[in-house]
Amino acid sequence: MGVEKILIVDDEKIIVRLLSMSLQSDGYETITAGNGQEALEVFKAESPDIVITDIKMPVMDGLELLRKIKEIDADNEVIIVTGHGDIDSTITALQYGASDFINKPVRDEALAIALERAKDKIRIREQLAGYTRDLESKVAEATEEIRRKSNFQKLLIHASNDAIVAFDHQWVIVVYNPAASRIFNVPAKAVLNKMTIDDLYPADAARIFKTTAENGTGKKEMPWKEMTLCLAPDRCFPVRYATSVLHEKDEFVGIVNFFQDMTEIKRLEQELVQSERMAAVGQAVSGLAHYVKNILIGLKGGSYVVDVGMKKNDTDKLKTGWETIKKNIKRVADLTQDLLTYAKERTPELAPCAPNEIVKEVAKLVSDTAAAKGIRLILKTDPDLGTGIADSQTLHRILLNLVSNAMDACTEDEDTSKDFFIEMSTHALDRDRFSISVADNGCGMDEETQSQLFNPMFSSKGGKGTGLGLLVTEKLVEEHKGTIDIRTRRGKGSCFTITFPNDAGSAANIGQGG
Amino acid sequence: MNKKVLVVDDDSDVRSFVVTVLEENGYIPLQACDGVEGLEKIQQEKPDLVILDVLMPRGSGIRLYRQLKTHEALKALPVIMFTGIAMRSFLKSQKALEAFNGGEIPKPDIYLEKPVEPEELARAIDTKIG
Repeated sequence: MGVEKILIVDDEKIIVRLLSMSLQSDGYETITAGNGQEALEVFKAESPDIVITDIKMPVMDGLELLRKIKEIDADNEVIIVTGHGDIDSTITALQYGASDFINKPVRDEALAIALERAKDKIRIREQLAGYTRDLESKVAEATEEIRRKSNFQKLLIHASNDAIVAFDHQWVIVVYNPAASRIFNVPAKAVLNKMTIDDLYPADAARIFKTTAENGTGKKEMPWKEMTLCLAPDRCFPVRYATSVLHEKDEFVGIVNFFQDMTEIKRLEQELVQSERMAAVGQAVSGLAHYVKNILIGLKGGSYVVDVGMKKNDTDKLKTGWETIKKNIKRVADLTQDLLTYAKERTPELAPCAPNEIVKEVAKLVSDTAAAKGIRLILKTDPDLGTGIADSQTLHRILLNLVSNAMDACTEDEDTSKDFFIEMSTHALDRDRFSISVADNGCGMDEETQSQLFNPMFSSKGGKGTGLGLLVTEKLVEEHKGTIDIRTRRGKGSCFTITFPNDAGSAANIGQGG
Repeated sequence: MNKKVLVVDDDSDVRSFVVTVLEENGYIPLQACDGVEGLEKIQQEKPDLVILDVLMPRGSGIRLYRQLKTHEALKALPVIMFTGIAMRSFLKSQKALEAFNGGEIPKPDIYLEKPVEPEELARAIDTKIG
C-alpha cells in the first residue's frame, strides 16, 4: 500500500490547515474541503483512502456526508471529529457506518491512533480482497478443469464401442451412450433421466443387476460374463457384460453396465465350428477311404496269391494267401465294430470286477505279439486295489487299444537299439478312484500329432490305422465316467493314464443327476 | 539267368502278393520290411530292380529312394515306387527335400499307386528289366 490520501473536511479553515500540515509531515497526502457538499465533489474526483470530517458544517453536515460517502463506497474509512457530549450525533454516525471518532480538540496522538486503526482496516480489507480474488480465479480454473474432464469423459462414453448404461440409486438411467441405443434400439432422449432399469432391460436382466447391487457391496468390479438379452421375442442376442456397483462413502449411489454385442462374434464362432466340422468330415472320409483301400489291396493281393496256389497246387501259397484274406476280413470287422462303437450310445454293463485281473488278462493276451516284436511287458498291479463296479468288457477293450498303440509306438521307433518295454500299472488313488497306466518307451509324439490325437480319422500310422482307435478309447472312457491323460515326448515314449471311479454306477448317477 | 527283384514294404500282405507276382513271371524275389533293411539287402544281394513302398517305419521309402539316387554305385538301379501314396504327394515331398538339401534327384522310373492288378505290376517290371 502506497501513501494514503486523506480528505480533511471542516468549515474552520485554520483547523483544516493545521491538520493538513500535521498529516503531511507524517507522510500522508492530504486534500481538503470546507463543507459536506464540497467534500463529496472532491471525494468523487480524488477517491481518498480516509476521510476525516467535522460534523457541524454549513450546506451539508458531516453526518450527511458520511451517509453519501457510504452510499458510494461502503468500505471507505470515515473518521468523525465530534464535540464533547454530542451523543446523538455520535449514535447517528455509528449507524451510518463511521469508522472511528476523535474528540475535539483533535490531539495528534488520538489522530495517529485513529489513522493507524483505519489503515489496518484498509490493509486487512485489501488482503481479504486479494484472497477473495485469488480464490475466485482458482475456483474458475478448477471449474474449467472439471468441465474439461467431464467433457472428455462424456466424449469417451459417447465414443465407446461398448454400450454403457448407468443408473442412479433409484435405478433411473443417467448415462446411456450411442452404442447402448444401438443395442436397445431406443433413442437417448427417450431414456436419459426418464426410464428406469425396469423400463429398459428385460425383467431377468433387471433382476440380475438389482441382485448384484444388493450383494455387491464387498466387490465393486465384476468380471465379464455372457448372457442373452431378449428385448422382444424375435430380438434376442448374445452379449458380454460387466457391472460396476458404485458407492460413495459406503452408500450405494448407482450401477454401471457395459455391454458388448456378441452377435457377430458368435456368428463367426459358429462358422468356424461349422467349417471345422466340415473339415473333420472330409478328413474322416479320406481317412476311411484310405483304410478301406488298404484292406482292398490286402484282399486283392491275397486272392491273387490264393489263385496262384490253387493253380499250382501249392499249399504254402494257398496258406499265405488265405492268411492275408482272413487278416483283412478281420480288419473290416474291426473297422465296422469301431464305427458302431463310436456312433452308438451305449450304457456300460456294470458289475463287480477286479481291475488288476483285467490288466493281467490283457497282458496275457498280447504277450506273444509283444515277444515277437521284441518288446518286454512289465506288469505292476497295486495290491491295495480291490474290486470295483465297472464294465469289465469296456476296461478290457480300452486297455487292449492302449497296449496295441504302445506296441505300434515301439515298432515304429527309428531307434532300434532301444530295449523296448511296455509297462502296465494300476493304482488305487483314494477311496473313490483308481487309475491304470500304459507306458512305453517307443517313438512318442510331437506336439502336432498330440493335438490331433482325438480328431476323428486322424491316424499317425499312415494308411495302417483307421484313426478311430483312440477316439473309440476316449468314448469308452467317457461312457465309464473316466478321464484320460496323456504324457508323451518325441523319441522318448508315451504314457496314457486312465482314471476311473471305483463305482462307475454311482458316479454315473451323480453325473446324470447333475 | 533269372533276375533278382527286391520288394521293400512293411506290409507282409503286400510282400506276399508281390513275391507271388515275381515268381509267376520268372524273377527271383527278395524281401525287406523297412528302409534300413532294404539298403542292406541291396548292398548284399545286388538286385536288378527294387519295388519300393513309401510309408514305412525305420527309414521311409522317401529316404531310401534318395539314398539310392545319390549313391554313385547304386544310382543306376531301376526303382518302381509301389505305394498307396499319391504320386503328387511323393513328388511334393521330394521337391521340399531338394529345396532343403539342394541338388536334384531324378523322378522314379515308374510310379504305381496301390491297388495294382498283378498283370500291371508284371508289365512294369518287364519294361525295366524284362
